Amino acid sequence: MTTTLKSAVIGTGAISKEHLSFLAKSERAHLASVCDLSPASAKYAASRFGADSVYANYNQMLDEVKPDVVHILTPPHTHKKIAKDCLEAGVHVFCEKPITATYDEFQELSSFAQSHNRWLIENHNYCFNEKILAIQKLIADDILGEVQEVEVRVALPIRDGGIFADENLPNPIHQMPAGVIHDFITHICSLVVRFIPDVSRVAAAWSNHGGGDLFKYDDLDATVIAGSAHARIRFSCHTLPKGFYVTVRGSKGYVETDLFQPHLRCVIPRAGDLLSPLINHFANGCDFVGSSFINFRNKIMQKTPYEGMHRLLDKTYQALIEDKQPPITFEDIERTNKLVHALLSEDKRF
Amino acid sequence: MKLLVTGASGFLGQYVVTEALRSGHQVRAVVRPMSNEKRLAWHNHANVEFIRLDLRRKNGIADELKDVDAVIHLAAAKEGDFYTRFAGTVIATENLLDAMIEAKIKRLVHISTFSVYDYLRTPSGTNITEKTLIESDPLERDEYAQTKLLQEELVREFEQKNQVEVTIVRPGLVYGRDNLWSSLLGGQLTNNLWLRIGGYATMPLTYVENCAPAIVLAAEHPEAIGQTINIVDDNLPNQRAYVKKQEKRKYPLPKMIRINWTLMRTIAWTMWKYNKVVLKGQARLPGIANPVILDARFKHFRFSNLPAKEILNWKPKYSLDKALERSCSNEELLKVQQPSDTVEEKELVVSG
Repeated sequence: MTTTLKSAVIGTGAISKEHLSFLAKSERAHLASVCDLSPASAKYAASRFGADSVYANYNQMLDEVKPDVVHILTPPHTHKKIAKDCLEAGVHVFCEKPITATYDEFQELSSFAQSHNRWLIENHNYCFNEKILAIQKLIADDILGEVQEVEVRVALPIRDGGIFADENLPNPIHQMPAGVIHDFITHICSLVVRFIPDVSRVAAAWSNHGGGDLFKYDDLDATVIAGSAHARIRFSCHTLPKGFYVTVRGSKGYVETDLFQPHLRCVIPRAGDLLSPLINHFANGCDFVGSSFINFRNKIMQKTPYEGMHRLLDKTYQALIEDKQPPITFEDIERTNKLVHALLSEDKRF
Repeated sequence: MKLLVTGASGFLGQYVVTEALRSGHQVRAVVRPMSNEKRLAWHNHANVEFIRLDLRRKNGIADELKDVDAVIHLAAAKEGDFYTRFAGTVIATENLLDAMIEAKIKRLVHISTFSVYDYLRTPSGTNITEKTLIESDPLERDEYAQTKLLQEELVREFEQKNQVEVTIVRPGLVYGRDNLWSSLLGGQLTNNLWLRIGGYATMPLTYVENCAPAIVLAAEHPEAIGQTINIVDDNLPNQRAYVKKQEKRKYPLPKMIRINWTLMRTIAWTMWKYNKVVLKGQARLPGIANPVILDARFKHFRFSNLPAKEILNWKPKYSLDKALERSCSNEELLKVQQPSDTVEEKELVVSG
């Protein structure tokens, strides 16, 4: 039985560091090749992470290296074409988000992958962060009760410098239907549908509060309803400090975290109506103090909010080796992209 | 000569363009698409042509290189994470060099940095020259050094694979107006609080109005082809002397906590060893707690500018005192006379 898959990476920009650092040390993967239009970038990635070969043309790489898995880490508008070529070459595809610009394109690509009997996996790495898995366990153990409300809130000063505010060479994400928010919307929606999968109603306000031509939107305020469960989605660039807040409220209690500064505030029945508030306060106070030390250590030890990525990739490679369903299924990607589509369909209704 | 100058609107770039214009060259100044050219003192000079380009994008660079005699490549990213700097420094250079091959431009003056040297493995007291060991373990260095090393490697490859004439100029730390405080004095703790490390290390400084002429001379002098040339000024100060001169001029300095160099180095080595042995090298220490970075900024060395003087026939025009005086004055340092003014003035002199 195969225990190691031959991997290749197409696109060696900033996010490649997270993929390549996994591939460089995983026993389930062998980094066979890296490919980038910039030979200098590909060469650097290969020497830094120990790839066997370097290519500037991915079709040539597919022909010559014949990888088992390809990680597509190029700008989103290129994903569909590259993914199709990889799937056609018989390669499983792990693709960065957003997998395609539109839901129709995703469906086309998904059908193509299934017709070629290959896996197509969109990166939903935050769903595999330690704190999200802890929340899922609280739900599975029926500690929170039935999920009634979810709030996913991202606050990032994307207008205050950095790659998204660069007007000299606008980031390709600006061309996507949701503009810059498209870079985050997959993560937000993948988390929402983890907790309330079958969304039935959506209302969304897309705004460009900061104005100007570069940003299509810089703010999203949406409500999502699935049966009796509600979800609130917020993306804001005007509410600091930056954070990636997730709150899940159940019929028995609620839990909240910030994936950028991880902690877990869990308010649940602990010892009857009288003592529960006191014990919750005490327990959460201890958790906050502990988290401050852990987060300081994590910062020094270079454990970033991408910590779920290696866990996800490891589970994915294990599933592919064992010929089992990967941790992110076609249905997960379908639900996520359907919600993104529904949110985008609400554009200009407000 | 017709010179294409990348990074023309940057700190050093503005002075290089000024010097090139004063020397009578035509300048094609590469600025980023959204740059405000009006803020540049020489923006309306008759011998300046603005080229709006982002070198991170390959398209269109070769077209702008037509009829150029030499390229002076100053552009580099000095802010952002590693990948932002990689794009602005390495990929930008890769695109420029590809375009030079396409446009058949043979002459390049590449501006590198003193950051490429291996200060950890070079013994204290060594005279740093062009032959000093290049950093052998870039991953231990900061993002600036890493990307500048990769950039210089690309230029070397370009020189070896193509029949081109390359000069690599490595300036020390360039200072001047609005850039008088230096990372060679310490490490920043908060917005206005610095840990001032040591006091007696010689600072490899070059005043911007001394450095810029050396770069233009490197483009002009055929003797510079194939050479690597360090640029530092004469009579370099130590950290203490440099700070004292700034204090004397009442230049606004940040608050400082002083720490002895030997003590700081001991702390850094202890932390570094702990990281390597106990934490298996997984921890990322702050720059000043990393002996590799610490040595690059504060270790005691001597510096030579002899090759620059011999090859370029260059001499730093301004002493440290004069340089600080000019930096703190209201004098227009970047003003260049229009060619017509010069002609008119000459005519007046002749007729007078």
